[in-house]
Amino acid sequence: MEVYREEFLGEFRFVEYRPFRLEKPAYAVVALPDAGLVGVIGAWHIVKSLGLKEVGGIDSYSFLPPVIVVSNKEIKLPVRIFAKDDLLLIYSEFMLPQAGMVQLSRILLNYVERKGVEYVILMSGIPIQNRFEVEKLRTYYITTSPKASELLKDIEAIPFENGYLVGPYALLLKESVKSRLDSIMIFTESFLEFPDPEASARNIEVFSKITGKSIDVKDLLEQAEVIRIRARDTMKNVVRNLAQMRKEYEYTPPLHI
Amino acid sequence: MSAEDEFDKLWRRIKEVERSIREYVEDEFRRALEDVRNELRSINRMLMPSWSHEGYLRPLYAVKDVGRAYIIYIDLPKVDEGTIDVRFRNNLVMIRAKLKEGLKISSWSGRGGEVKFHEYREVIELPVRIDPSKVRVNVKRSRVQIVVHK
Repeated sequence: MEVYREEFLGEFRFVEYRPFRLEKPAYAVVALPDAGLVGVIGAWHIVKSLGLKEVGGIDSYSFLPPVIVVSNKEIKLPVRIFAKDDLLLIYSEFMLPQAGMVQLSRILLNYVERKGVEYVILMSGIPIQNRFEVEKLRTYYITTSPKASELLKDIEAIPFENGYLVGPYALLLKESVKSRLDSIMIFTESFLEFPDPEASARNIEVFSKITGKSIDVKDLLEQAEVIRIRARDTMKNVVRNLAQMRKEYEYTPPLHI
Repeated sequence: MSAEDEFDKLWRRIKEVERSIREYVEDEFRRALEDVRNELRSINRMLMPSWSHEGYLRPLYAVKDVGRAYIIYIDLPKVDEGTIDVRFRNNLVMIRAKLKEGLKISSWSGRGGEVKFHEYREVIELPVRIDPSKVRVNVKRSRVQIVVHK
């Protein structure tokens, strides 16, 4: 692991393995484990399809387990940073405890802002109780600014109008509003406890339209069953953490709107 | 009422109170023990890998209590649906199913990387005794739904 640049932000260590610059307007995708691992499965497909290069990583001795990722004989940090052209993608299969997530959300958004990112795109799943029966999945979106909403004109997604969101993406949206970042959250109906590559594929279709990047999801859908097998242990760990974050609040209708 | 009768009455009352306290303590103790047992079971499940070097996978599953029934969802990617075998004994649901073909988890060094997996195996415990005549099993897109009526 070569270190080109290193900085400590709060309890987190950001390392860049090589210099990189993003083209304008730049997009950032933040993919963290959540319902059905929809975000991370989709993000990995984006990395593969667009040939993003691993340019850095994030570590924390306070909030992450003592872990390294070994990828093609090279040692990488557990939270991985990929980039190419106008796209920065931050990816983690490890779920942080709530205190760590609060700090990481703030720091991550500060980092992407300093990298010149104009739009932050968050993709996840919205767990539905009858996912076993549902075949046609609906996709929702939330934006943090009118400028971000402009990107969703004529796109087949439903504005999420009322309800609760719980988990890492709720924190990222909260911090986006605080930092006045133009963020878009796309989320498709999914399982909560089972990896759901079909929901990831639906999110990617919306992502492609927003960014104008052509990404074929045929391969993702063909590989869906293998992905579901590979993702079982990660999913099992994530479910426990989501329960601690009180993910079940998402099923609660708000009393007053 | 004589003093002796009064004493007997009081003594019976004391015995009743003693019995209810004992029952309450026993109930609470049983409940606490069950909670500890469940927590240990859950920790054990968390630490146990979802595969075995003997060539079987443990599927992900979720159990929902919907009032009139328990619904169990089991994720069985790559399963040969014709081989799904679900059996019930007391409060246990036992699942075995073959994969469509032997499967290796590629690009994974050591550990399970060399193991070829052939089937799924899992035993799920429910809090009630299962009456197999009141059970419905549905399979859809390599996922199983088992409805166990209470």
